[in-house]
Amino acid sequence: MTKTLEREIQRVGSALSEAFPSRRGHPIKVLDERAMDLATQDAELRAALFRFVDVVPACRSLDDLATHLAGFLDEVSDQPPPLSAAMKMGNTKAGRAALGAAGAAGVRHMAHRFIVGDDPEDALATLKGLWREGIASSVDLLGEATVTAAEADRYAARCAAALDVLAPAYDAMKPDERLERDSSGPIARANLSVKVSALTPLLRPEAPERGQRDAAPRLRELLRRAARLNAHLHIDMESLDSREAVLELVLELLAEPEFAAAPSAGIVLQAYLRDSPETLDRVLEWVREHPRETPLTVRLVKGAYWDHEVVEARQHGWSVPVFERKADCDANFELLTRRLLEARPAVRVAIASHNLRSVSHAIACNRLLGGADSDLELQVLRGLGDDLGHALASAGLRVRSYCPVGDLVAGMAYLVRRLLENTANESFLADQAHGVPLEQLLAPPATA
Amino acid sequence: MTLPAFANEPVLELRRATERSKLEAALGELKLPLRVPVWIGDDRRYGDELVSTDPGDPERIVAVAAGATAEEAAAAVAAARAAFGGWASTPPTERAAALLRAAAWMRERRPALAALALRECAKPWAEADADVCEAIDFLEFYARGALSLAEGSPLLQVPGERNELHYAPRGVCAVIAPWNFPLAIPLGMSAAALATGNTVVLKPAEQAPGCGLRVVEALRAGGVPAGAISLLPGEGEAGAALARHPDVATIAFTGSGPVGLELLRTAADVPDGARQLKRVVAEMGGKNCVIVDADADLDEAVPAIVESAFGYAGQKCSAASRVLVHEAVHDLLVERLAGAVDGLQVGPAGDFASDVPPVIERRAQERVRRYAELAAGEGALAGGRHVLPRHGWYCAPVVVSGLPRDSAVLRDEIFGPLLSVESVRDVDEACDRIDALPVALTGALFARNPRTVARVVARSPVGNLYVNRSTTGAMVGRQPFGGNRLSGTGTKAGGSDYLLHFVEPRVVTENTLRHGLVV
Repeated sequence: MTKTLEREIQRVGSALSEAFPSRRGHPIKVLDERAMDLATQDAELRAALFRFVDVVPACRSLDDLATHLAGFLDEVSDQPPPLSAAMKMGNTKAGRAALGAAGAAGVRHMAHRFIVGDDPEDALATLKGLWREGIASSVDLLGEATVTAAEADRYAARCAAALDVLAPAYDAMKPDERLERDSSGPIARANLSVKVSALTPLLRPEAPERGQRDAAPRLRELLRRAARLNAHLHIDMESLDSREAVLELVLELLAEPEFAAAPSAGIVLQAYLRDSPETLDRVLEWVREHPRETPLTVRLVKGAYWDHEVVEARQHGWSVPVFERKADCDANFELLTRRLLEARPAVRVAIASHNLRSVSHAIACNRLLGGADSDLELQVLRGLGDDLGHALASAGLRVRSYCPVGDLVAGMAYLVRRLLENTANESFLADQAHGVPLEQLLAPPATA
Repeated sequence: MTLPAFANEPVLELRRATERSKLEAALGELKLPLRVPVWIGDDRRYGDELVSTDPGDPERIVAVAAGATAEEAAAAVAAARAAFGGWASTPPTERAAALLRAAAWMRERRPALAALALRECAKPWAEADADVCEAIDFLEFYARGALSLAEGSPLLQVPGERNELHYAPRGVCAVIAPWNFPLAIPLGMSAAALATGNTVVLKPAEQAPGCGLRVVEALRAGGVPAGAISLLPGEGEAGAALARHPDVATIAFTGSGPVGLELLRTAADVPDGARQLKRVVAEMGGKNCVIVDADADLDEAVPAIVESAFGYAGQKCSAASRVLVHEAVHDLLVERLAGAVDGLQVGPAGDFASDVPPVIERRAQERVRRYAELAAGEGALAGGRHVLPRHGWYCAPVVVSGLPRDSAVLRDEIFGPLLSVESVRDVDEACDRIDALPVALTGALFARNPRTVARVVARSPVGNLYVNRSTTGAMVGRQPFGGNRLSGTGTKAGGSDYLLHFVEPRVVTENTLRHGLVV
């Protein structure tokens, strides 16, 4: 099948690529003009920029902002001319006010590309617009870290309120067969992604059952509400430290009799983890033992905590739990894609990637396996995968955009992660933006 | 002898269930009580004068030890003195090899050693494992350090003379160790002395004779001669007798301030007929402060402060006991800290889910409770409503704010799960208050402006300052550890300078000119 598959991947990929908006509209190019390009080239500058973005919400005044900006830029040894100018502004009070305002505006501008609103109400206009364009969504509520029980309760309450806002809003939208039905049946319109680390302050890597126990009542309430409102609840995966707790928690709750029929729910599989195939074994075994009326959705992602996992492992002298070569990770992604597609209809499959090759592979593989396009969902991140999302939608595929919601303070950690991804040298988007030829972008991962 | 570069012994990856069950199995297999002798050369005297118990279950006896007498202290010093010539003249490579074999012996027994530290000192699993790893690190690190020290230090050379500087061992070293790192610290101090050619008499803490026994077993299994390492379990008097002994050249001590100062006084008293000045290598207590600036990321600061203050129930000399926070974020920080502390689970060290284990003994529990009551009377207390296990020396973790400036809670080393928070106008005021303290061990700063970081770094007197992280968990070779002012003699365990405290420098200059000719 390899040859046929490769041919089909080329065909799908080329067609998608043609449906992309013009190069000028590429996210990296528009994202922010020169700063990002500069940042990609200069590691010190990149660090200064991230540290600035990171501290913006904690600054108490424009003057404070400017002082921080100047402090970070101080540490860039080779300052390009615009930066030297900025540094000079930092010397006077009026200059600092201007610099602070410019810095804050820049960060806000960047944030708005990735974050669709301060709260779910505020996000509705964008979400409705996406639906009209044939794109579904999953809303993710950004928040500060949860370190107390009160914070966990607040996050759970925000999630409940979000479901209350989203469900009726989506009910009122025009029917779109492609977005709300596959061969397993109807697909919930309203879709919320939640994080277990926000539902409990007690996630302890060496005692997973503690966080699990503490988060369970809050998650159970959310599952009940989602069932009542006919919404989908997706439980995100975070760093490896919490994987055991998250996976056990979700599978345990979904096995409770009251959730056998509803709600529609999902988990995440991270392909960058070397042991992700075993995690999938575990999930598929669970699915066999717990058949659900609405199949469990498995969202396959590469994984967003790569740097964290590598650094943590190196600091402790552990073997690195993630693939360190991008090609190995890409190959594993394809392997898991295929296994997931073959596991239907016991699971619903959502492939979340901005890598044109990985996405084309999933589409091609599905078709060669005899699957209908409607039995495969593709997911993109708001702000990074918008072009790909539109290209996929116009090719008649089901696309869901992952849409973070939250204020600037809450959104900063998320924004920094996205920016990191966006300026990484190995990023697929960077390759694409810098004009790497299509054949190369669509070539199979060169594993060793 | 070329050794691979030093690398820290990796701690267990306890987020994996398979690793956790290995440890639990080791605890199940631990046979107690241990019998701990006074062990001088090849002579062992068993006895039951000293008993260590599980702080989480005081009925459980962990070790039954003989308590060394003053005569036995003298006998141990005599044995160490007799062994000194032979060990000092053993080639440094052979001494290093013995330490490396001791490291291998420990590596093979990691789960069992961690289980013992857990039982005897209520070290929670992760910390017990880290203690074993640190012990191994000290052996590996000092073995390498001694080899490079043996190469001497280059001197200026001119025609007609040859100058050499080499380091010689000082003699008998009395190692007086604490219970809170019951394997790593006694082994670290002993290994430093042995690596450089000294002989050692180890007096482990009275609360941890079982761990002390394992330290001596490891070194002897590695090939350190019997006379070169003796074990003297006992209470304070045994240590005092040891320190006073005229044939003790070096006292390596880690423990409380009052005992350390007493040892310094003892060493300073040079009796008639003395042949050597005693040197004291002392690591004592602290009153460690965390500064939180207005721009700090509280999402990171709160968990790091909780870990610093309440890990191992606050019983580390590096533990944080005061937070000095910018007034703009004071209330928010107190609220979040209090909430986080409310969520801590007080429970036995052997339960992976416990956050706060019991303190070491009844006296410690009483002391912590006294300070908690004092704090409640003088300030606003949060936390402390935890469910405590019925048996064992448990203390509820508490956070107190709004204390008067002269409160004893802000001054004394409490060595327990009690954290105070003070509001300051700015980082400079925080630095002033820290500067007013007589101790200077560790500290932390949470701030994101690089200029603030530089200012605090310049003003901070502490031996170990941590920026945007917890105050605990120093690693051998990465964070050489030790305090200044009354916190210690400025030595840095796990650093490249540490071994210099155990040697005396000797310079030899040879005239190579003979009848006007350089020979």
